[in-house]
Amino acid sequence: MKINVTDARIALEEGEEIFPLLEKPKLPDYSNVTARPHFSYYYTKEETVWERLCFCMEKLPALCPDDPYLGCYALMFSQLYPLLLSTNQAKNIIAYGPPTDCGAYRAFQDFMTFLQEGSSLTALAQSPFSFTALTKNFCHALLYRLDTCPAPAAVCDAVERVKTGGLILLYTVHNTLPAELGFLSEKAKKNCFGSCTVYTLIMDESLFAFALANSSEAFILSRAEELERRTNDLQGLIQAILSDAALSEDTYFVTTLILQQTEEILLSIYDYLENAALPILTNALKEAVLNYFVGIRSHFDLTTYRERLVQSSKHFFSSMEEEFL
Amino acid sequence: MNKYRMCIIPPYPLENVQLLKDRVIFPYACFCLFGTSLQIVTQSTGDYPYLSYLDGADLISLPQQGSHMENAIRYLSEHKEEIDLLFLFGARGEYIDLALTYKSLRPDGIIYLKLDTNIDWANALPLYHKPFADFLQSCDIISCETRRLQSFLYKKWRRPVEYIPNGVYYPLYPEAAGVRFEDKENIILTVGRIGTFQKNSLLLLYAFALTFVELKEPWELVMVGSVTPEFQADYDDFCKRFPLLAPHIHLPGNITDKKVLYQYYKRAKIFALSSRAEGGSPNVFSEAAIFGCTVVTTEVDAAPDMTDNGRVGRISVGTEDFDAFAKELTALCQNPVYLAHNFEAMRTYIKEFFDYERLADRLRILVDLQMQKRRPS
Repeated sequence: MKINVTDARIALEEGEEIFPLLEKPKLPDYSNVTARPHFSYYYTKEETVWERLCFCMEKLPALCPDDPYLGCYALMFSQLYPLLLSTNQAKNIIAYGPPTDCGAYRAFQDFMTFLQEGSSLTALAQSPFSFTALTKNFCHALLYRLDTCPAPAAVCDAVERVKTGGLILLYTVHNTLPAELGFLSEKAKKNCFGSCTVYTLIMDESLFAFALANSSEAFILSRAEELERRTNDLQGLIQAILSDAALSEDTYFVTTLILQQTEEILLSIYDYLENAALPILTNALKEAVLNYFVGIRSHFDLTTYRERLVQSSKHFFSSMEEEFL
Repeated sequence: MNKYRMCIIPPYPLENVQLLKDRVIFPYACFCLFGTSLQIVTQSTGDYPYLSYLDGADLISLPQQGSHMENAIRYLSEHKEEIDLLFLFGARGEYIDLALTYKSLRPDGIIYLKLDTNIDWANALPLYHKPFADFLQSCDIISCETRRLQSFLYKKWRRPVEYIPNGVYYPLYPEAAGVRFEDKENIILTVGRIGTFQKNSLLLLYAFALTFVELKEPWELVMVGSVTPEFQADYDDFCKRFPLLAPHIHLPGNITDKKVLYQYYKRAKIFALSSRAEGGSPNVFSEAAIFGCTVVTTEVDAAPDMTDNGRVGRISVGTEDFDAFAKELTALCQNPVYLAHNFEAMRTYIKEFFDYERLADRLRILVDLQMQKRRPS
């Protein structure tokens, strides 16, 4: 795949196939409201927007040697172009997926600074955590490589950061979106060339609502609700076990099962826990319940098992309360 | 009550002595409690006289041609219907294909992996290697041998790991039933490969010397096990330098007759473990504990578990501090009331939390729950 740059046109080419990216307008383009003229100067002779764009596009292959995403970068450049020219405000773009020293970012930043000093492309580290540190609705565009982290919650976390009217560019070399993101693919404009696909979306209310409902924050809240429900159930069950009432074996099985589920839910939100020991405290309570159950079933002396059950349940419930209530 | 057809496949061929070690004894306790059959599948390394202790278990000898694991995979493929619960021992790369094969042939079957590892080893496991990560993922129940390691693995693996210590299978120790504190003598005992780097025997030798001078009553140090030539030289040198202590330190060598070894446990009041590292609580600890010895140990991973966080034993800080170890040893030797009281406390503790039959019962519930999850509700 190569990028063919002429004075009149920029296109992606592979074999016989051509994908036109941008055409130089024949007449002055009044959508360009940056300080620099689009393709001609009155009074002085300096580099025009079009010339700088051609220069940056030409540099891309050298900046991204052997990068399978080269086509994606070129497609995204063409999508960003009208946005960058649309106002003379400094633009704020976030990019997630490639390493932070990705060559394409340098080309984008070069062009953005040329148009408007103060415009910034922030390359985020390859962790879904990157987004939680950023304010919602604050950036003009998002470049998101789906192949790095296709988890819907991470994509939605990223989408939430884009301001209304901003541009969302999701790209991949695998040509598919995760099924859970079907809503996005329905709304998106899809551009494909070779193995490269870019989904383009404009941020609006419906997109924001979708992102909000599927973000990690929503996921954590729903998990927290499940944990609260299970903790309440466990409180009743442990009380019953310690009350010395004759209980069916099922009571112990159900208690163990709920504790296992609690442990799994806690591990699923492990990154967000204040108290990282919560999963193991849950396991300790499960072990105490099982020891007590084994003791009852085999008619062992229960004194120590009971003490440990009381101890670990106190520790568990107080820690859960501290974390979630 | 559910019953299961069980199978043990070790990562490499089993030796006779290993039939009575954790890798076989714990699954055997499970078989006795909730199994209908137990197959021990291995390439033969010789005769297996200890099989006579494992009533009801079948030893399946794999062909000698080809590798142990290739043959094990073939056996498993041909006998998949006879295996509901597969016991694996050690988070080893050798198991990658075996676990994958079993799960593809018996998606309803359960893999239980007993880790048999310490923190250093667990930290070196290649979690970034996808086949290895998939192998761990395919294990339905994983257990480790110390709480310290369990805590570490929760942080590192972010998956449930059960705590099942190296325990005691009481039917193998009928002698432990009749032991009495009154029959015990002022003996500090250690058992292991004396002089190896791991066992750190010099620490115990010199700590004993520091202790000895503090005591009003004489105590004996007995170091049972094969002795390295380096340690023998150190010991000879020690005896020349401290001739008054020499008669109180005994190296009876390796004792293969368990009845003789158990006599030492019966007579000793204190069991000392000076190791630099252990892969869980060592078998010698469990043996000492059921005979009512109070344990003093260096800060190995299992130290808090062996002593119930210092309640039924003493933990010396670090693994190289002679003075600290001597201080703990001295405190114990000077406190006969504690030793007498702890005789029962230790035996009760080990019975309650290290008895393989009780631990097997706990595993049984976890296995039943795994089975329930597989059934459509």
